[in-house]
Amino acid sequence: MANIAGIDLGTTFSSLAILNAIGKPEIVANADGERLTPSAIYFDEESSHTIRVGIEALNSRYVNAERSVRWIKRHMGDSSYRKNVDGKDWTPEELSSLILKKLKQDASGEHGEIRDAVVSVPAHFDEIRRKATMDAGTMAGLNVIGIVNEPVAAALYYATTREVCGKVLVYDLGGGTFDVTIMDVKGHQMDIICSQGDHALGGIDFDIKVLEILEKSYRDKFGGELINSNEDRAKYEDEAEDIKKTLSRRQAAKKLLYGPAGNLKVEITREMLEEAISSLIARTDILIEVALEEARLKPSDINKVLLVGGSTRIPLVQRNLEKMFGFPPENTVNVDECVALGAALHAGLTMLREKPEEVPPGISSGLRDVQLTDVCNHSYGTICAPIDKETGRRVVENRIILKKNTPLPCESTQMFYTMSEGQTEVEVNITQGEDTDVKYVNRIAKHRFKLPPGRAANCPIKVTYSYDMNQRMHCKFEDLESGRVLEVDFCLDDKGQMSQSDIKQKTEEMESVKVE
Amino acid sequence: MGESAIPGLAVVLKWAAGGVFWLVRELESRFLRKTEFEQCLRAFSLPDLRVLNCRVRSTRQQKGSTYHDAFSVEICGSIHAPKGANHAGASVSIEDVTEGAANAQAVYSRLKQWQTGNSEVFCYNSDLGRIPSADMTLSDWVAVGIINIDWLRLPRKGTRKLRFRICIHNCESGDRFAFAECCFAYENSVLGYMDLQENVQRARTLAVALAFAVSAADNKMYDCEVDLIKNWARGNIDTCKVSDKVRERLEKALEKTVGFFREGNHVDCCRICREVVEIVPVGERYDILDLCLRVARANGTATVEEVSLLKKLAEWLEVDMERFRRMMEKILPSSMHEVKDAEIILGVKSDMSKDETRRHLNKEYRKWNARVTNSDPEIQNQADDMVRFIAEARKEYIA
Repeated sequence: MANIAGIDLGTTFSSLAILNAIGKPEIVANADGERLTPSAIYFDEESSHTIRVGIEALNSRYVNAERSVRWIKRHMGDSSYRKNVDGKDWTPEELSSLILKKLKQDASGEHGEIRDAVVSVPAHFDEIRRKATMDAGTMAGLNVIGIVNEPVAAALYYATTREVCGKVLVYDLGGGTFDVTIMDVKGHQMDIICSQGDHALGGIDFDIKVLEILEKSYRDKFGGELINSNEDRAKYEDEAEDIKKTLSRRQAAKKLLYGPAGNLKVEITREMLEEAISSLIARTDILIEVALEEARLKPSDINKVLLVGGSTRIPLVQRNLEKMFGFPPENTVNVDECVALGAALHAGLTMLREKPEEVPPGISSGLRDVQLTDVCNHSYGTICAPIDKETGRRVVENRIILKKNTPLPCESTQMFYTMSEGQTEVEVNITQGEDTDVKYVNRIAKHRFKLPPGRAANCPIKVTYSYDMNQRMHCKFEDLESGRVLEVDFCLDDKGQMSQSDIKQKTEEMESVKVE
Repeated sequence: MGESAIPGLAVVLKWAAGGVFWLVRELESRFLRKTEFEQCLRAFSLPDLRVLNCRVRSTRQQKGSTYHDAFSVEICGSIHAPKGANHAGASVSIEDVTEGAANAQAVYSRLKQWQTGNSEVFCYNSDLGRIPSADMTLSDWVAVGIINIDWLRLPRKGTRKLRFRICIHNCESGDRFAFAECCFAYENSVLGYMDLQENVQRARTLAVALAFAVSAADNKMYDCEVDLIKNWARGNIDTCKVSDKVRERLEKALEKTVGFFREGNHVDCCRICREVVEIVPVGERYDILDLCLRVARANGTATVEEVSLLKKLAEWLEVDMERFRRMMEKILPSSMHEVKDAEIILGVKSDMSKDETRRHLNKEYRKWNARVTNSDPEIQNQADDMVRFIAEARKEYIA
């Protein structure tokens, strides 16, 4: 029987966990024996069919930075991003699939086939990015049975391994993204209340701040630049990361910089780092406050703060949270691994719900009491043209039908009316976003709904959106007079994303690509 | 003539019979001016019952707890219908003949129900029921229509001479049985559609002055700004129905205005805005601000002087400042501001407490943070920029 796996596809590191015979998640080490695999890719110059993923790829950046890729998660779902190597344009989905393929390949070697998997994503990822992540998994040869929000996965692991009860705030500061999630936990029953996140806030941003200090110190001393090539940058990015990690343990870190104008010994103190990253930490503070406001809670209502992600090791982060909540945050489990471990648990729960007959009895029994209620990650709406109260003019606006943070499964209905006499069709737009201004929302699907001819204006159209436990959305547009119905199961093909046949073709193409 | 035969008329006859005393009271009420009172008294003189006569009275209608001013259109005299049962209807049309019959202006209907065909011209229709006899005489005044004044759009404000035309016709064939007309003087207290059109044109002319003032606020008028204003003026100041000569005059006027501002002259923007507020509704004022914002962004950078003047214009034009800020976010993103002012860009006010400021900034952060994943890279960049700016502002205001 194939393994049930959970994958943390991180910005800087990725990991894979599987459920053991009694339903407990375990991290599977990669071929190098490491539990975390750097999310780095290197296209070997010598052998164009060999692509290196992991630590070797990370180190190869110093040799030829142009042939390396890092932090691809930040580009996930970006249809304009392409990495050109030897004349081939790689999409973020294809590049991510290489990392997933490496994880799958290494784990399969020791533990047997890895097929059904849940991949984690930041809570704030929109549908386009979620779909792109799923596509990457499919291209890697996985059967992606679900997507789980990283803080939810982490909390799932915490709640099933530790005594957690009450209102829990999960503070997930990873390599490239930040999420804050508030949930209500009663033993093994977890109800998500709300999530907030920042797509461009994580460890790599702290590294960049350290790197800026190094560059400035060198410039001040020699009047010249420390970094003159992409290879130099790759090297000093790693130096900066090393300094940041050292400063989590010590008050000061010393480095010798070998620059073109001469060598420089620099000392960076913890205070210097904290000053440099204070505006970034302020952004996490704002998001915590926003999440608390959304949940209608005060800091004193929070019973536990759980830390997730390597960047939570920074003392300023922990001090800041203790100051805000009045008690120290919980860091009793490995903050780098809990997302993958929770994703494996989520995969087990999904399998139990979807294909219970395929779940071994030991796993079924291990997950028996675990219950999770997730929420809608974004608001979904449609575009309409009401009369503006202030100006009396007709304005085009986005009307939210399904609100963010509504517990799943959910359904919501609103009534709209045709605008003109003899109107024979309605342009139906499905939007994702929190704004009423159409400029600021993403139109994720567009259809034409044909109506009977020769009717007066103001004919009612009933619009119903529903969202199920597997994060699938269904939209129904109903012309009440004629009984005509337009149903849309949410898919991203209209936005130029990959269709099923494209994925199949890409999956076949990726099968021939070797990763090491 | 039996009541059952013509139910429509029967109802109004009954109403009219007992209405004399009520009418006098009504005439003396504060809703009628002296001219109308005299007009109505004249209407009380016995009309020639051999022909159809009509008169109009001003009245008030109660609907729930509110009252509406209305015209009661009444007829008396003879209706000569062809033999046999006729299903009769009355139609009432109104024209404004204040400037003489030759220059009659249409009266429009706000309600689609009382519009004629594809035009908005007012025409009220009522069903009078069946007229069994060939000749019928109404010996007393009978109301054939109560026309709510709110339904009407008159051409101008002030004392208007309105000509009412009543036509009694066969509902099936459309054949006209009888026709009558009368005039009524009405004191219109609201702006007419011609006044509004003129006001809109005037406001657009003033908009051009304000737009040039924004362009010249930093003492530099860029060609792209001037071209934008000129194009706007050509498209918005009504020249489509006028001769080439008038269009030429517009071009000359624009050139002269450019020269005026380029010489370093200034206009009193506050006074212009006051006039705009008096003559046009808020929608037009937002249009003016839209133009001014586009002028400020035309050369890619909005200077401190330009942004400051824009804010003042919004205040003077008495628009919702929060809505103006949202307009600015769209048209003039913060990256175009020469100096980023949290008060203007984020709406932070000096009288806000620390906690209010924090909550306000959190709200702004939530809004922009949700936009960072927008599919449009331009919006993504703007959102990233705003998220960073809010975090900086928070340090400044809350720390």
